[in-house]
Amino acid sequence: MENLILKLKKQIIDALNLEDMEPDEIETDEALFDDGLGLDSIDALELIVLTEKNYGIKIEDPKDGKKIFYSVKTLAEFIKKHKTN
Amino acid sequence: MIYINGAASISPQNSLDFNEFVKKMLEYEDDFLKSIKPDCKEYMKPIQARRLSKTVKNGIICSRIAMQQAEIEMPDAVIFGTGLGIVLDTEKFLEKMLKDKEEYLTPTSFIQSTHNTVAAQIAQKIKCHNYNFTYVNRGFSFESALLDAVMHIKEAKKNILIGGGDEMTEHYFHIIKKTGIWKQTPTKNTELLNYKTNGVLCGEAVSFFILSDEKKDETFAELKDIRMFYKPDNVSEIKTQIKDFLTKNNTEYSDIDLIITGHTGDKNNDAVFEAILSENLPETPAVYYKHLCGEFQTANAFAFWLANNIIKHQKYPDFIKLNDKNPEKIETVLIYNHYFNINHSLILLSRP
Repeated sequence: MENLILKLKKQIIDALNLEDMEPDEIETDEALFDDGLGLDSIDALELIVLTEKNYGIKIEDPKDGKKIFYSVKTLAEFIKKHKTN
Repeated sequence: MIYINGAASISPQNSLDFNEFVKKMLEYEDDFLKSIKPDCKEYMKPIQARRLSKTVKNGIICSRIAMQQAEIEMPDAVIFGTGLGIVLDTEKFLEKMLKDKEEYLTPTSFIQSTHNTVAAQIAQKIKCHNYNFTYVNRGFSFESALLDAVMHIKEAKKNILIGGGDEMTEHYFHIIKKTGIWKQTPTKNTELLNYKTNGVLCGEAVSFFILSDEKKDETFAELKDIRMFYKPDNVSEIKTQIKDFLTKNNTEYSDIDLIITGHTGDKNNDAVFEAILSENLPETPAVYYKHLCGEFQTANAFAFWLANNIIKHQKYPDFIKLNDKNPEKIETVLIYNHYFNINHSLILLSRP
């Protein structure tokens, strides 16, 4: 899980062009949107593409996105669950 | 009267601080000169910079510095000139399209790849809702932006944020290299004028200025006039243009304390400058700058930054000298540049 979290942080930095950030600057439990890291709807689209492109997982119901992309931890848990299934 | 109250540049030299810049020329031996990457975190959070391309990021940093120097909170317009725009991200976007077979296309790369949005992106970041415009006119891009800024001041606007810049990429360099206009082997910038070969050393920089109708204690210079002329037939026509430009501004050749030329290290391009210097300004102190930033469509914005600082600080380093003549004072400065003998421009500045 730790490896997946670190990998995800690196992929988020790359996908969102956060080039002046290091993986450890993104808190695993911190909210990615709103008052947390401060991502917005365009970033959400980038994260959906990231999940599909790198892990082959499609978010079927957009309503689930809010829970899945709440934090790096929730995203990692979602990926882990769907990859093993 | 039009004054320059702020001037900032990010280039391959230490141009964010003129006092550091004059101490030492940064030396390179490379295919092209690359700008020094500023510490963006000093100016914006990484999260705020995530959709900004290199040129926009550097533009925002230069804008903030120029606005601080001019002591203004909000400009009346944001105007930018660029030959290529944000080409680095355009290439990333195209690469992604090819690599992923046009699947997984996301908006970020597209937003970053639109070359004519630089002024708008900077305006958005500094929350300026006034006029903004990006000029993409090849070798006249910066000059067109400057002319627009001048017209705004003449129309009673107070402070205009105006800039010019370009970025160079490995892809673009290698594609254009095939045309033979770049130097074909890695070039030492310190030896640029000694090569006597065809081709220029290309580079990149972004510069921003505040043009104002008000003179302040910290004003850099007064902008007297600007002129562009396209594809002159011969040196005689260039001489006529220069003479006419100076006459229009009640200036004689002998009034010019310093001329800044756009020598590129290409023997054909430089022959034009040499003809003007030797025949019309043989006794005038002359300096050049493209060994510092390289050649690109908006290199003249760097020359404008250099001229402003030379006038303000009344000094310049030995490493930009073209001849051994030294001015007693630096009151009147002429910038004469041309981009591949196509886009010629003259800018006249004076001490405020």
